[in-house]
Amino acid sequence: MNASPFANLNRRQLLQLAALVGGSAALAACGGPAVGEAGGAATDKATDWTTVTPAKEITWWSNHPGTSKDLETELIKRFTAETGIKVNLVTAGANYDEVAQKFQASTGSSNVPDLVIASDVWWFRYMINGQILPLEALAAHLEMDTADFNTTLYNDYEFGDSHWAVPYARSTPLFYYNKSVWKKAGLPDRAPKTWAEFDEWAPKIAATSITPLGLGKGTSWSAWWFCNMLWGAGGAYSKDWTLTLDTPEALEAAKYLQKIVYEDKSAAVTAKDQVADFGAGLTGCTIASTGSLTGLLDAAKFDVGTGFLPEGAKGVACPTGGTGLAIPASKSPEQQLAAGMFLKFLTNAENTAYFSSNTGYMPVRTSAVEGEAMKAVYAEKPQFRTAVDQLATTRVQDWGRVFVPNGDKDLTTAIEKIMLQQADPTEAFATAAASITKSYEENVLPYL
Amino acid sequence: MVPQRKRRTPWKSWLLFLAFAGPNVALLIIFTYKPLIQSLQYSLLQWNIGSATARFIGLDNYTNWFSDPATANVVRVTVIFTVFTVGGGMVLGLSLALLLNRKLRGTGLARTVVVAPYVLSGVAVGLLWLFVFDPNFGILGAVLKAVGLSSPDWYNDPQWALPMLIVVYLWKNVGYVALIYLAALQAVPRDLIEAATLDGAGAWACFRNVVLPLLGPTTFFLSVTTLLSSLQSFDIIQAMTQGGPLEGTTTMMYQIYQEGFATGRAGYSSAIATVLFVVLLIITAVQMLVVQKKVHY
Amino acid sequence: MSADVKDKHAVTGAVKRSVTGNVPATPSKIGWVSRGRLSGYLLLAVAVAAMILPLVWMMLASFKKRDEIYTVPIQWLPASFELSNYFAALEAVPFGNFFINSLITTVVGATLKIALGLTTAYAVVFLDFPFKKYVFALVVFALLIPQQIVIIPNYTLISDLGWINTYQGLIVPGLASAFGTFLFRQHFLTLPISVLEAAALDGASHWRRLWTFVVPISAPTIAAVALVSIVSEWNEYLWPLLVVDRAEMMTLPVGLTLLQNNDGVTNWGVLMAGTVLITVPVLIVFFLLQRRIVTGLTSGAVTG
Repeated sequence: MNASPFANLNRRQLLQLAALVGGSAALAACGGPAVGEAGGAATDKATDWTTVTPAKEITWWSNHPGTSKDLETELIKRFTAETGIKVNLVTAGANYDEVAQKFQASTGSSNVPDLVIASDVWWFRYMINGQILPLEALAAHLEMDTADFNTTLYNDYEFGDSHWAVPYARSTPLFYYNKSVWKKAGLPDRAPKTWAEFDEWAPKIAATSITPLGLGKGTSWSAWWFCNMLWGAGGAYSKDWTLTLDTPEALEAAKYLQKIVYEDKSAAVTAKDQVADFGAGLTGCTIASTGSLTGLLDAAKFDVGTGFLPEGAKGVACPTGGTGLAIPASKSPEQQLAAGMFLKFLTNAENTAYFSSNTGYMPVRTSAVEGEAMKAVYAEKPQFRTAVDQLATTRVQDWGRVFVPNGDKDLTTAIEKIMLQQADPTEAFATAAASITKSYEENVLPYL
Repeated sequence: MVPQRKRRTPWKSWLLFLAFAGPNVALLIIFTYKPLIQSLQYSLLQWNIGSATARFIGLDNYTNWFSDPATANVVRVTVIFTVFTVGGGMVLGLSLALLLNRKLRGTGLARTVVVAPYVLSGVAVGLLWLFVFDPNFGILGAVLKAVGLSSPDWYNDPQWALPMLIVVYLWKNVGYVALIYLAALQAVPRDLIEAATLDGAGAWACFRNVVLPLLGPTTFFLSVTTLLSSLQSFDIIQAMTQGGPLEGTTTMMYQIYQEGFATGRAGYSSAIATVLFVVLLIITAVQMLVVQKKVHY
Repeated sequence: MSADVKDKHAVTGAVKRSVTGNVPATPSKIGWVSRGRLSGYLLLAVAVAAMILPLVWMMLASFKKRDEIYTVPIQWLPASFELSNYFAALEAVPFGNFFINSLITTVVGATLKIALGLTTAYAVVFLDFPFKKYVFALVVFALLIPQQIVIIPNYTLISDLGWINTYQGLIVPGLASAFGTFLFRQHFLTLPISVLEAAALDGASHWRRLWTFVVPISAPTIAAVALVSIVSEWNEYLWPLLVVDRAEMMTLPVGLTLLQNNDGVTNWGVLMAGTVLITVPVLIVFFLLQRRIVTGLTSGAVTG
């Protein structure tokens, strides 16, 4: 080791160091948000789609809902064969939340995808952040038959006269029951039609010495199935942006929940996974996603029956969930057009049936529901038919839960206080309402 | 030419210094100090993380956090978690070290076993314990049932979920504390320790007045390092409870992550991070003062 | 258990005896000691069991089928030790890639980190610079800045550089050495200055003095810092979770979470098989090298 090369290295290192420090100062200036007026949703007015040629290659961020990576890869292969457009499938997270976190963090970077998973509780935030494109003009240009989408599923993505995503892997909650328990209890082989009927049946189920109903918990879940009890009682989380948790109907729904858990003891909240408890025969029936159907049929040692969610005093009420697909606003029109073409391909009647029959998610197009592919599925798994039929009874989500950041989380906390700690519903709901209203004023209102 | 090297002109030796220390310092500036300042700036903004624009709102994020009814709970959870993982960890670690320091057969193997979980991934540790604690299908519930107890509702009851996390954290980290104490104990004359651990009368006094002060520097080292890692623990919480049930395991660190990335309120999250940072600074300053007072005797 | 450790115990024991051993033990003391011994062994057994049982439970679960896991009362042993869960885990996610990625980030990251710590500590201790106290303070103060505070700005920076899904994106932001610098400095201050003066007289440059004189006599401290760096790089979770979104570039802890299901039933068997795949290799390495690791860990801390 001679002194002179070291001296050289010395100087070179210094130069590099200077470059690094200088570079970092420059980067500091461009990182982060531009401070000023609040932004808002993107528009598609500027693009004349007839003059755009689609890009040759696009990137799609997915979490492969329902372990569907192989299906997605297959669909991509078919699309590439048809159009010559290459699609890079990226596993951007294990669940909707992780994909959403990455997508939000990617803003302004070179890492934005051309097509992204947009779950029911996330797409609205993408929209107010100006991250995704309204799809009306693009859909019209591509002659995407949007009228054929299941109306509830498609209108879940509607705000301000535009649709911001299209339905992809969509699910509903479903009532599952243990047929052998039902038999032992001497009940007819069907789900209870109403919650009143469930109350009549519950003692008979309890007599077989198991907990009649297992209820799930956790964010994106408690406040989802509770829609059924809430809407069934005539209540709602919110009307537009106004929280309606203090209405007698909402409180009544909460009190009913407390009654079955604490007074009748006909329902219990699961420790971790209500589907696993039900599959192991710990509970007689449960409410779970249609997406769990395939897994449950595999795991359970007894015959599994399915039915509509029970009705409340004010009739049927079933929410929808799962995820749609959205196109980022910041990409070039060429990329967006190619992504639009792929979107159209993914959700056409044939492919939605293919995806649905292999996962348990809903066929999102009306024309697909009675197609050959789905008929074969119904023949093999009659339980699946119930899930698809129930779609007719579904209703669009309340904004207070799905559009306001923290909305679902605050509602989950309130419902869990009610069912796990027997908290006063009035108080629990009031806390949630105050928090959601505040979050709306801070995080949504300025962007509308 | 050689021995002259010592008499460099000052700027040359400065360049040499920069060549040695520069890269590290530059990395620290780019990836720690600059982002720290940026984070302070963000804490004054109303900024949704996905948005390209933000509004300046002054100290609103701070006043919101301090006035939010949920904050008291987050602080309570953070304090309990920290006290039990740091304080409990040091008491348990020292006890283990005293045990391992005794002349018993198999202490070498036991020491290895006790330290082993420290090298495992927090995510893996969280997942494996999740299946131990499962009230229906886990081994712990079965053991409790066998002795006539019923399993607490670890996953649903905030009163039990937090202790569950603390147990798992200690399981993973206590071996490290024990190991460091063990090394320090080996420098303490064995007779002293035996007097302190085995004799009945005066043992506590001997331990407190003689052994413990000898372990002073080690205790300080551990209190600083374990406090820092406890306050930053994330992977076990994420793998096991995600802050629930009923936010019963949401520490400040977890809230920072949740607000920043899950809820997407990046400005608010940065404000909480700043508060935590200031608290850390104060605690460390107090630790330093205590040490300066106690170290000379 | 290695003979070495026993030897060491024997030696220290002998030394202690030679110093203090001439006092004959009273009968009562012997009674105390043996009773104490019994309780000591009991406590040791409890401690070891508490550490090992969860790992055993994980291993057993990794062989169980779904219906063997979801039964009440629980089934202790799997019906058979076939590897179907392992194949399912390996098929679901690219574990080979995870492993290689973890290995690369850990080896490169830890090596560079140690080198940076050594050069910085050397500069702070042995080189002349008017503000070196402040430089050292700047480095050590970084220990107090929680990683999560800087994560949003760092993510923006890395993605502006186009470093998402790259090794440099995984490694570089965590490269700076604060803890290592601190420990190395403490250690360097204890080194006999004569060694370095002799080296200087030999005409060795500072660069050479560091690598051929200082580094060899600092091996235990370096081993300690290396160990802490390796363990933390290998297990790092939050940062790799954010900067990688392609399965082929994920590290083991992040990849493991891909096995958790979205809408279906949590498949504990497969998840535990995945957990075994990421923990057991580390445990094996740990047990093989435990003597070095244990001395490494402790010597570092005691120096500090």
